[in-house]
Amino acid sequence: MADVKCAFIVQRPQYKGETSRLAMTHALSYQTVEVLLEDGDTVTPSLCFVGEGILGISKGQNAIAPYGINSSELHAKNCLLVDMDVYVCKEDMERFGITEDQLPDAEDMGAEKKINVVPFAQIEKIMEEAKHVLFF
Amino acid sequence: MGVLTMGVFPGLVGSGCYDFALKLAGAAADKGHVVNLWFSGNATVSVKAHQKHLKDYSTGEKYLVELMEKGVEICTCEACTVSRGIQKTESIAKIQWNAMHWYLSKIHSADRVLQIGGE
Amino acid sequence: MKLGVFVSDYKLAVDTLDRMKGENLGIVLVQNGVYHAVLKEGGKESALLGKTPRLYALSEDLQTRGLRPEQVDKRVKVVDYSGLVDVIFNDFEKVAWL
Repeated sequence: MADVKCAFIVQRPQYKGETSRLAMTHALSYQTVEVLLEDGDTVTPSLCFVGEGILGISKGQNAIAPYGINSSELHAKNCLLVDMDVYVCKEDMERFGITEDQLPDAEDMGAEKKINVVPFAQIEKIMEEAKHVLFF
Repeated sequence: MGVLTMGVFPGLVGSGCYDFALKLAGAAADKGHVVNLWFSGNATVSVKAHQKHLKDYSTGEKYLVELMEKGVEICTCEACTVSRGIQKTESIAKIQWNAMHWYLSKIHSADRVLQIGGE
Repeated sequence: MKLGVFVSDYKLAVDTLDRMKGENLGIVLVQNGVYHAVLKEGGKESALLGKTPRLYALSEDLQTRGLRPEQVDKRVKVVDYSGLVDVIFNDFEKVAWL
């Protein structure tokens, strides 16, 4: 029985490329990985947004109307809904002039988890504590 | 010996990163390591069989078959693959098709994980 | 944490590496990242070379680009794919691709 902690670090903005979205969908699959593991084994992702990666989780996105695809905001909300720890770099929020009230929550979906705004040093600590680090 | 799990997202043609991933996988397998390859994003196009190797383009099929003969497990993201119009019946034999949790399960057993993003 | 970071570009589109502390970091130069080991743009070497003493470059990617081993900065250890596998398993606790 073992839990493997993984740090998913999103460092690129969304939409032009797909890796940032794939970071979230891959992290979300921790919910079903147990079907392929021994009893008691788990994978626990922490999802961290740094640099331009933080631009993709602002509230009020609508990618369905123009492009017919789910928004990154929706994926971020789904991550909160499944109780994933989601972190956003405080220094990058300040750098891009983004305030906490511009970040989404998933209260409307019934989620209790909130996005954590933390200094980069804490994200480094998450990387240290994780067994594996995956940059997207 | 260790377990190396790699997530490969870049496409076969147009990115040298895909070639890098396959070469590294082969070198690790040759040294006796267990290697798992997960294809997502544009890398999934490379599971289509009957690729013609032209020397101006990277080739995947020949190396993927060789890797599997060496015991490397290769799995493609089913959603990414079918979204690109490739069906399972068109796939290179013995490549696995599964959902993203396959990758996480191979991360669980890995000593090292190298996630190669697509940009 | 002994993290080996793979750098595959010469011009980095992300600044994550700049912000990470160098003491437990290693840098593996692959693909176009190998130019960091050779070029002196405007007469200045790449800042990455001062980031950590643990620097590696992939010989096959140097060769592909017509770069000779003697052009590589002395601080950078040139390894082939087989050597890189050993670096991944023996020199770092975890690895990441920028």
